[in-house]
Amino acid sequence: MKKSIGAPPWAPWAFLALPLILYAVWVILPICQSLAFAFTKRDSIVYGIQWVGFRNFARLLGDPTFWLAIKNNIIWLALFLLVPIPLGLGVAMLFNNEHRGNKVYKTLFYLPMTLSFAVIGTIWMWIYSPDFGVLNGFLRAIGLEELAKPWLGDKRYMTGALVAVGVWRQVPYVMILYLAGLKGVPAELVEAAMIDGATWGQRLRHIVIPLLAPATVVAMTISIIDSLRAFDIIYVMTNTKARAAEVLASYMYTSAFGYSDFGYGSAIAVVQFLITLAFILVYIGRVLRDETER
Amino acid sequence: MRKASLSLLALFGIAASIGAQPLVVQSYMSDEAPKNAFAALVAEFQKQNPAIKVTVNTVAHEQFKTQLVNYLTAKDAPDVLTWFAGFRMQQYAMKGLLEPLPESTFPGGSFVKEFPAAFKPAASYNSKIYFMPQSWYWWAVYYNKDVFAQYKLSVPKTWDEFLSVCETLKQNGVAPVSIGAKDTWTAGGWFDYMNVAVNGGTAHQKLTGGTVSYTDPSVLKTFGYIADLAKKGYILENAASYSWQEAVTPLVEGTAGMYLMGQFIMDSVPADKKASIDFFSFPKVGRPDYGVDTPTDGFMIPAKAKNKAAAKKFLAFIATKKAQDMMNVTLGRLSANMTGAIPNAEAERGLAMVKGAAFAAQFYDRDAPEEMAAKGMNAIVDILQAPDSYKDILTALDKERVRIYADLK
Repeated sequence: MKKSIGAPPWAPWAFLALPLILYAVWVILPICQSLAFAFTKRDSIVYGIQWVGFRNFARLLGDPTFWLAIKNNIIWLALFLLVPIPLGLGVAMLFNNEHRGNKVYKTLFYLPMTLSFAVIGTIWMWIYSPDFGVLNGFLRAIGLEELAKPWLGDKRYMTGALVAVGVWRQVPYVMILYLAGLKGVPAELVEAAMIDGATWGQRLRHIVIPLLAPATVVAMTISIIDSLRAFDIIYVMTNTKARAAEVLASYMYTSAFGYSDFGYGSAIAVVQFLITLAFILVYIGRVLRDETER
Repeated sequence: MRKASLSLLALFGIAASIGAQPLVVQSYMSDEAPKNAFAALVAEFQKQNPAIKVTVNTVAHEQFKTQLVNYLTAKDAPDVLTWFAGFRMQQYAMKGLLEPLPESTFPGGSFVKEFPAAFKPAASYNSKIYFMPQSWYWWAVYYNKDVFAQYKLSVPKTWDEFLSVCETLKQNGVAPVSIGAKDTWTAGGWFDYMNVAVNGGTAHQKLTGGTVSYTDPSVLKTFGYIADLAKKGYILENAASYSWQEAVTPLVEGTAGMYLMGQFIMDSVPADKKASIDFFSFPKVGRPDYGVDTPTDGFMIPAKAKNKAAAKKFLAFIATKKAQDMMNVTLGRLSANMTGAIPNAEAERGLAMVKGAAFAAQFYDRDAPEEMAAKGMNAIVDILQAPDSYKDILTALDKERVRIYADLK
């Protein structure tokens, strides 16, 4: 008979009670609440709840702004997967070799991560300014006058201009993940491959990238989640009027708090939650599988 | 002796508890100038009513707007709230969240003794008054006098004259019309003035009331005029990239000629340039009469307020000429009180323009439900960028109208 010394079976729960209660009250309960609100009429949660069944969800299907938001979220998602991950990997590999000024450059690259979205948004608003902005100034200076656009004013460029800012901030994040990952790639393995005559490309493809797979999964998951919850940059850089750049999070905010339509806003939140949840479940599933395989 | 001192103490106690009669005012006046002016006003009220203890909670303007429903429905609702006249207020009266103000609340015995009768509809719902007006301002076409003088232009009175002014400015490389459409509400002024000029006040009221379609021929005509300005290239290039203040700069510098804006535009004009900027009444479009936008700011009492008697006393104080002057002369605004002092010559002309108007609106986003106005203003910005597809844009907008007004019921 093994008996642990002085630790009653409920001990872990006693220690966990406070965080669990806080988690339940501040995370789980609001999620359930907004799920329920999604089935209520407009602002009726304020004045006495009226249930409308799936009406808010039915309205979503016929709402062009909702589909615009979905389309824009897909653009965010695609660009967040395609750009920061390879770029972050490249930068990380660059910094993985020791050379002069390494730390300085690394810090400079990481700097955007330390800024708040409000600061980033304000800086980029100036960069994008049609007349005085650095971007258009540069384009004009190198004779590409016709490429100097009103980036945040024209419907066609708004989303692209905003995603670019998000990507700019995401690259250093991914870089840090890969830098940590690269520490786990044994130098002997790479050296052995070099002796065997593997080219740089072969070493990258067959040794480094496979060994970085865990870091890649984390980077992808974070990028997906960050792209789905894009809001701050849009809110700041469009003076809260996203118009053509609307995404689910911004449309949810405007519907609920701008138009006092809490029912509809909750329905949008539920859709966004389900989409995010699907990605998270895939990720958790993978992590659990890896754990049990080991 | 001892008994006497005890009863004296009791008396003190009662006096102290009366003295502590609290009055909570929730205010959105978070900018420095109005905040200080309002604090002075409250201090004056406090001096006159030592039995009431006023607490002012100031909340940032935008945050206040999103929190208002919470204030109104909270168990311990504030006693007085700052707010806007028109549908923006009436929607809450409709839900029974506001305390009606009987005519006896007004120092002169009735609303019309203090304020113009024209202000009453926007302050009432279902023939009960819910709103105490404090100040208002006008919208007009602001223009750069130096630019007009340089190209020998005179103030346009009709739409044709307006278009020819635009053409001359454009020919000379000056953007005729500035607008900071990144803040979409700047387009709301164009909606109000253009539609009232084309269709008159009554028709405009029906449109913001939701009973007229945005695809109605009369409304299409209004938006046709706006689309025409964009098509002719009379709107400042990249307008949707600028906030309303950023679009003031070209007007002040003379690279733009005109800007349809509220009187508060002058706050953004540098002191040494103020003399160059003036305003004129929106040009007439085939109708003999004209309308104006006169957004009115003031106060209301939540139905759940704890201390309604003190709240009404406070509002009665706010209504007086003295109280309105204290606030509005300082800020250069017009008092809602008819006897209020006119702060300057500019205000005198603004007042004359308003007095001559056949119709006064609040503003698109105060007369129509917020969602309708927000989507309508988005639509106008879209039209400015794609004037050829204005009919499609309005068809989409009208679908929203049908749903939004049906949802209100």
